[in-house]
Amino acid sequence: MQIYLPIAELSVNLFFLVGIGGAVGFLSGLFGVGGGFLLTPLLIFSGVPTSVAVASVTGQVVAASTSGALSHYRRGGIDLHLAMYLILSGILGAFGGVATFSVLRAAGQLDLFIAVGFVVLLGFVGILMLQEAVRALLKSRQGIVVRERLPNQHSWIHGLPWRVRFKKSRLYISVLPVLAIGLFIGFVGSLLGIGGGFVMVPALVYLLRVPGNMVIGTSLAQVVAMMAATTIMHAVQSQSVDILLAFCLMVGGTAGAQFGAAAGQHLRGEQLRGLLALLVLAVAIRFGLSLVLTPDDVFSMAVTSAVR
Amino acid sequence: MNRILALLFIVLVSAVPAGAAARLVSGVSNDTIQITSSFDGERLTFYGTIAPEAGSEQRYVEGPFDVVIVVLGPTQDRVAREKTHNFGIWLNTEQVEFKRFPSYFHVLSSRRLLEIADINLLNRNFILPEAHAMMPNIAGFMKTLVFGRELIRLMSEQGLFGVQENGVRFHSDTFYSAQLTLPSSAPPGPYIAQTYVFQNGEIIARKSEGFAVRKIAFERFLAQSATQYPLLYGIACVVLALFTGWLGGVLFRR
Repeated sequence: MQIYLPIAELSVNLFFLVGIGGAVGFLSGLFGVGGGFLLTPLLIFSGVPTSVAVASVTGQVVAASTSGALSHYRRGGIDLHLAMYLILSGILGAFGGVATFSVLRAAGQLDLFIAVGFVVLLGFVGILMLQEAVRALLKSRQGIVVRERLPNQHSWIHGLPWRVRFKKSRLYISVLPVLAIGLFIGFVGSLLGIGGGFVMVPALVYLLRVPGNMVIGTSLAQVVAMMAATTIMHAVQSQSVDILLAFCLMVGGTAGAQFGAAAGQHLRGEQLRGLLALLVLAVAIRFGLSLVLTPDDVFSMAVTSAVR
Repeated sequence: MNRILALLFIVLVSAVPAGAAARLVSGVSNDTIQITSSFDGERLTFYGTIAPEAGSEQRYVEGPFDVVIVVLGPTQDRVAREKTHNFGIWLNTEQVEFKRFPSYFHVLSSRRLLEIADINLLNRNFILPEAHAMMPNIAGFMKTLVFGRELIRLMSEQGLFGVQENGVRFHSDTFYSAQLTLPSSAPPGPYIAQTYVFQNGEIIARKSEGFAVRKIAFERFLAQSATQYPLLYGIACVVLALFTGWLGGVLFRR
């Protein structure tokens, strides 16, 4: 069954859209990530214009993260004080990201920057995650019990000025690294159409030493608020949010996420992280190849004005 | 006085060569094509008959005729870009912008175009796709030529440009019909179908019809809100997302 997308101005199979939404939702429920880093590339590779794909997926990420954020909130797993700092700097970063997005689109370099961004970001994060997961797997093979340890020695980050006390996370740290993380994720997230949860979580754990029971909830709350703001900014700035496309993805995504979360309980933490690392690396490699290999067609076209 | 009359007579006779006093009576099956949520392209039928000029003494026209129908979509500014290999990666380096380039262009004809008329005549009337890419451009002649040809190739691959040299069928000496399937990627806007009647390599009659491709109902509402009230539209998207996410959590709560 074909459905016409009014902003993308093309008709796509409805089951295909709900299907990839569901598949990505399953993976995001399984690994506890938003899934934007999978959905945006999938849409781009299946012919949706890059700008529409990025802008519409931000809407889908809001939906995908909302139910998770709510359940963490009910369990008291969100440090709202910390999240507020991350959200405000994230929105500021998103302003920069959306503005850069328009400039790049006009210059014809949007696809290039998105590809390079995915290769660098996903490649880097993927390799780090894989290293960590392999180490944990090897240790558990040898019979050593790996405890989830939180390194409590202080690094240079904790010596920065403007310290603020975050009661819920039991942290007394400078706001500068918090704002920097928010700014970076806001910028990258709005430019690439990803929530940035897989960058946020390690950053909170390893850089800020946020306790484990606060990390996921705080990250999800930040993703919801920042991506909501980004969706509105994309709608105003580039007018490329396709609400119908986003809705089809949301429906598949929220349903898929529940099954993914159920399936995730049968796998061990380090196995999950290892699989996620492989997935992230696969996307990075796919984008890397598209940059390096000779394209099928060196010519491409784009519309630079509205129909008249 | 006599000389003036004689001159007038000569002018009239030369302006209307024998057998060319024809007019075209034509029509198109749809005057609006509505884009609904299940829009997956639409088939259009063009038909017409070639008749003697109104008020002339002729009872019938003599063939053979050739008919060419040019369907032209709304115009947009379009760029063609070329990737080159730099520092190990492929990136867009050169681009040429074509102002007011048709977003849709299809030619249907009853015979091979170059057999119907001279290439210059076809180009002058924008009957060949290439004519649209040959407009003067600040990029320079050679670059315009290369990028224009590539742009037309890309448009053809997308089904937005095309030439069907057997697209017009004659059912009698003077009655023809032609069918065109408008793809779902055809952009909404005003379309023009120009019909030319050729005889002996000259245009003896022409007529144009307009039709519109329009989003209707819900699709129209969405597209209009997105452009006219972008802020409200964005907020609506977010509310929808929050609601869907919340509902998903409630429905599947274990």
